[in-house]
Amino acid sequence: MTDQKKRQPGLRHRLIIWIALPMLVVFAISVLFDFRLARETIDSAYDHSLADAALDIASHISASGAEPRLSLSPEAGEMLRSDAFDTIYFSVTSADGRFLAGDKNLPLHPAKSLGHPSFANDHYLGQAIRIAVLQTKSGNDLINVAVAETIKKRELASRTILTAMVIPSVALILAALGIIYFGVRRGLSPLIDIEDEIARRSPRDLRPLNLGNAPTEIHPMLHRLNELFELLRDSAVAQERFLADAAHQLRTPLAGLQTQVELAAQSELFRNDPERLLRIEHATERLRHLIRQLLLFARSEPSTAATQTFQTIALDQLTEDSASIFIDRAVAKDIDLGYEISGIEIQGINWMLREGLGNLIDNAINYTPSGGLITVRCGTRDGYPFLSVDDSGPGIPLEERDKVFGRFYRISDTKAEGCGLGLAIVKEIAELHGVEIRLGDSELGGLAISLHFPSGGGKIRQ
Amino acid sequence: MRILVVEDDPLVAAGVKQGLDNAGFTTDVIGSAESAEVFLQEESFDLAVVDIGLPKADGLTLVRRLREKGLTLPVLFLTARDSVEDTVTGLDVGADDYMIKPFRLPELVARIRALIRRSNALASSEIKYDGLILNVASRTVTLNGEPLDLTGREWGLLETLLMASPQVVSKDKLVQTLAGWDKDITPNAIEVHVSRLRNKVAKGGVEIRTVRGIGYRIDQSRS
Repeated sequence: MTDQKKRQPGLRHRLIIWIALPMLVVFAISVLFDFRLARETIDSAYDHSLADAALDIASHISASGAEPRLSLSPEAGEMLRSDAFDTIYFSVTSADGRFLAGDKNLPLHPAKSLGHPSFANDHYLGQAIRIAVLQTKSGNDLINVAVAETIKKRELASRTILTAMVIPSVALILAALGIIYFGVRRGLSPLIDIEDEIARRSPRDLRPLNLGNAPTEIHPMLHRLNELFELLRDSAVAQERFLADAAHQLRTPLAGLQTQVELAAQSELFRNDPERLLRIEHATERLRHLIRQLLLFARSEPSTAATQTFQTIALDQLTEDSASIFIDRAVAKDIDLGYEISGIEIQGINWMLREGLGNLIDNAINYTPSGGLITVRCGTRDGYPFLSVDDSGPGIPLEERDKVFGRFYRISDTKAEGCGLGLAIVKEIAELHGVEIRLGDSELGGLAISLHFPSGGGKIRQ
Repeated sequence: MRILVVEDDPLVAAGVKQGLDNAGFTTDVIGSAESAEVFLQEESFDLAVVDIGLPKADGLTLVRRLREKGLTLPVLFLTARDSVEDTVTGLDVGADDYMIKPFRLPELVARIRALIRRSNALASSEIKYDGLILNVASRTVTLNGEPLDLTGREWGLLETLLMASPQVVSKDKLVQTLAGWDKDITPNAIEVHVSRLRNKVAKGGVEIRTVRGIGYRIDQSRS
């Protein structure tokens, strides 16, 4: 699982990227084409008026003398050159390049054919110009009339067109991106709902997923998932059935053995060898404890516990009940077993928490010497429900604190009885309930062990 | 006191019978729910110890049928399965207590005595504990044959502690019990009454043990 940290992009991101990127390219191409088309249209309109001006000049050429002559009145010249944006130049030359009239240094361009204007781009007086050349006939002479203008209004028109086209296009693109984003989100929302449903589930919840609201495309996947859930559920049920049978088969003969040992103790049978009776009693007790802990450990395992459901539990009641169970053992060992209880409800599996707390108190009684003190507490601490057991025993050395939750681990140099499963069971139960276990030094001088519940479901009762 | 043990495992049955006989009960053993049902209706028993895991009809079915037929004798379930469902169902169908195998004989005997004590309180109005006899009808107490002079509140406390034994009784529960005498009784006042009651019964070898932070339990003195 940890290797999968580098996450693949989600379906939503893929969809958005694969729709938005090609769309942006298509938009860009389309804007480019439109812009070129609009420019060509405008250019040809301006070219046309330039050609008209050339035609106008040509009409003022007369072939009365030896040389063709331009007879343009100053008013007409003024008229010709008047333009709001651009400067207009012209020249009249003979076909072989001899200057006849106009602006003398205007670059010469060849005419295409008689009566048809040709156009070219050039520079004049350091400025870009557009030039139209028209060939006309005056008498027997071929005359070239060139009219040029700077390109200010063309550039202005280009800019205007560009602005007029790009702004709506950008707005359109943004709108389309927004629509795609929300559309994809909404379209995929059933998937996200299912993802949420699976994520919200506790590991014990193996009920099949409801296919009702799921898109048909993922039905096959959900079917497989449900099959897997069923397999896990079946296996948990089988495991639990096996444990129940094993428990029955182990406990019945053990109950027989234990009663026989106790009867033997009552019957003076071992009058001459009380030491032997003690050993038999001791061994029976250890066996009883071990079998009980082994079964409890197996039943608390997550794979088996999957068949259990959480219920609302009054933690204070559960804690109070433990007094009746443990008071005799505490009294027998002359230990003062006391409580500090305030009302709190949590969500959990009742028998597990009862056994978990039982193991903590059992450990405390085992490890606390005669005349010692044990205090069991429950309530809320820092806003979270908790259970704790403090004792005046020897505590757990710091270097062993992270090991004591391992299976069959026994604290070194301990004289107390035990099979080393008690805290392993508590750990299993804690993990199943999302509970944090803390080990510390108690003000009573020994170990302080506490279980801190997640806030969910914690409710203070008056 | 006559007890019927319904248990199909011969080893356990023999052990329980011997243990109960030793404790002064008269014990019969039977191996199936079907025979037990007939037996319990024909003969009179003070209590039945019933194994849940019987062949054919199980212990739960047996107790359900007994309750349907109106038999009210106390029933203590023995079970080798510790699943909550079993025990909860057991108490739901009308059992009074349960013990998980393997159990200790002294604890079994103590639980049986407590059940019989409660059932007798209803049937004969008398609660017996060690040398204490508390008569519910006449509201009198004798300790080792001597009448014991108790106030109403002390009497109420003693009755509650005896009925609950061997369970620990919380102070809150005692406050509720005494609310009949005194609506505004406080947990502190309970301490005063318990302390007086404790002195009165201590002479007869009965101890009222304080469980710090919870309440009290009635015990036999350990000396």
